[in-house]
Amino acid sequence: MIQTSAVIIANTKIAETLYKLDLALAEPVKPRAGQFLTIRISDTFTPLLRRPFAFSDFDEVSNTASIIYQVKGQGTELLRKYGPKTLLDIIAPLGKPFLYPQSTALPVLVAGGIGLGPILYLASSLQNQNIGFKLVFGCKNSRQLPSAVLSPFSPAICTDDGSTGFHGTVVDYLQTRNLSQKSTIYCCGPHPMLHACHQLAAERAAVCYVSVEQTMACGVGACMGCVVKVNGPTRYVRACKEGPVFNSKDIAWE
Amino acid sequence: MGIIDLSVSIGSARLPNPVGVASGTFGYGGEYEELIDCSGLGALFTKAVTIEPRPGNALPRLVETPAGLINSIGLANVGIDRFLDEKLPDLSRFGCPVIPNVAGSTEEEYCSVLERLETNQVPAAYEINVSCPNVKHGGLAFGTDPHQIEHLTQKLRNLTKKPLIIKLTPNVTDITVIAKAAQNGGADALSCINTCVGMVIDVRKKRPVLSMKTGGLSGPAIRPIGVAMVYKVCRAVTIPVFGMGGIMSSDDALQYLLAGASAVQIGTGTFIDPALPITVINGIEQFCIQENIASVNLIRTLLND
Repeated sequence: MIQTSAVIIANTKIAETLYKLDLALAEPVKPRAGQFLTIRISDTFTPLLRRPFAFSDFDEVSNTASIIYQVKGQGTELLRKYGPKTLLDIIAPLGKPFLYPQSTALPVLVAGGIGLGPILYLASSLQNQNIGFKLVFGCKNSRQLPSAVLSPFSPAICTDDGSTGFHGTVVDYLQTRNLSQKSTIYCCGPHPMLHACHQLAAERAAVCYVSVEQTMACGVGACMGCVVKVNGPTRYVRACKEGPVFNSKDIAWE
Repeated sequence: MGIIDLSVSIGSARLPNPVGVASGTFGYGGEYEELIDCSGLGALFTKAVTIEPRPGNALPRLVETPAGLINSIGLANVGIDRFLDEKLPDLSRFGCPVIPNVAGSTEEEYCSVLERLETNQVPAAYEINVSCPNVKHGGLAFGTDPHQIEHLTQKLRNLTKKPLIIKLTPNVTDITVIAKAAQNGGADALSCINTCVGMVIDVRKKRPVLSMKTGGLSGPAIRPIGVAMVYKVCRAVTIPVFGMGGIMSSDDALQYLLAGASAVQIGTGTFIDPALPITVINGIEQFCIQENIASVNLIRTLLND
């Protein structure tokens, strides 16, 4: 991991609540899918903490990276207003990446809303390795659908109101499909979605990797603030260090 | 450059410069080693260590506030056995003074941890955590009672010749009473201040955000409180004081040094900018050059009050 600077190339609205930030990094960081960066969004101390975002894309040749974010608080509201050429302080790459599938069965990539970021980067990484996959994206309605960033991966779309694609949740959708028993599931999104994907995988004895979202203070493993409850004697592990990607069977689901 | 004496004495320990990283904010050192040259630190105060491993408090443990952060970690730590076997050997390679932060629920637990630490050469001093607001027993209970502080400090004093630094809580009516009690008990130095008790309520859910309801507020929001407490404590005791609370720049650190502190610790500020401790060391040196003073120990003589 390094602390370096990044210049905003573009800060684009991609759906009703989603934005994509493209960054030119001052130094090479070479993140893998599932890893994240933290951005110091303000130097006025409000908001105080750096904000973590999963990489949604990375190009090694140009050393450019992308993240996808949702405006939902002071930090992201400020970030939304930053235009091209704005200089940001970043720390990257952080956390553990997704592990590639061990099974030969077609992996299933599942993203809900803002959980799209790490799943998109996993999709492009698998594509670059010529590993096939099925991408499923869920959101509330068609206005929240970031079509442009999804289209290269021919995704299945699910909306809660049925305004586009499958009418129902991503898990409802997966239950209607003949998923291979051995398909590894990769997911990122709201907690209930992650839990449902875990249960779906558990029923099939398939492997399921979840990328969790937690409030973080340091982002590097020092503060013990972002922990996730896990099975076993340790009880809590750090989302920023041992995660944010976990094998779903290790998490103590509640 | 290089002509300024940045070193400070804390009891028998000599720190190469007056800027340490605060306990609980720097893990066991390794977490930050890719981002900061730890050999340049004045001191590395470790995550608190207790006799048994502690998992820490339930979630959520963090909530951000205006210019601040409230935490309720609950002294999550690996326990003294793993601390001695794994963490201290690893900490020794950083080349800066390592100061374990000692915590417990009873006097006996504090003593047991200290006795175990005494078997190891690595610690340059000990910081005694009698001020954690996030545990049910010990911690703050010791830190708010001058008799208990004096008694505990005396007991620990009998166990070690290494410097004892008592970390004080701001959550008292008069911090100078506690400071004097620690000095009377034989403390070599004080750390002022630990976090201020704070609370955030989620109005929509009509319940506290943190699982433990309250937590410890840190960050720039508490800096003026810290500076005022250090100013008072430095006029009540003769032992050196570490000033801390909300340092985000070298000027912030200089406020503490001008108030009377011998050294400072940086905590939450490192989360926001891992380079901050080194930036602050350089800033303090620059200040000495500008003020034409040969030693950081003279900064506290410069206050016009």
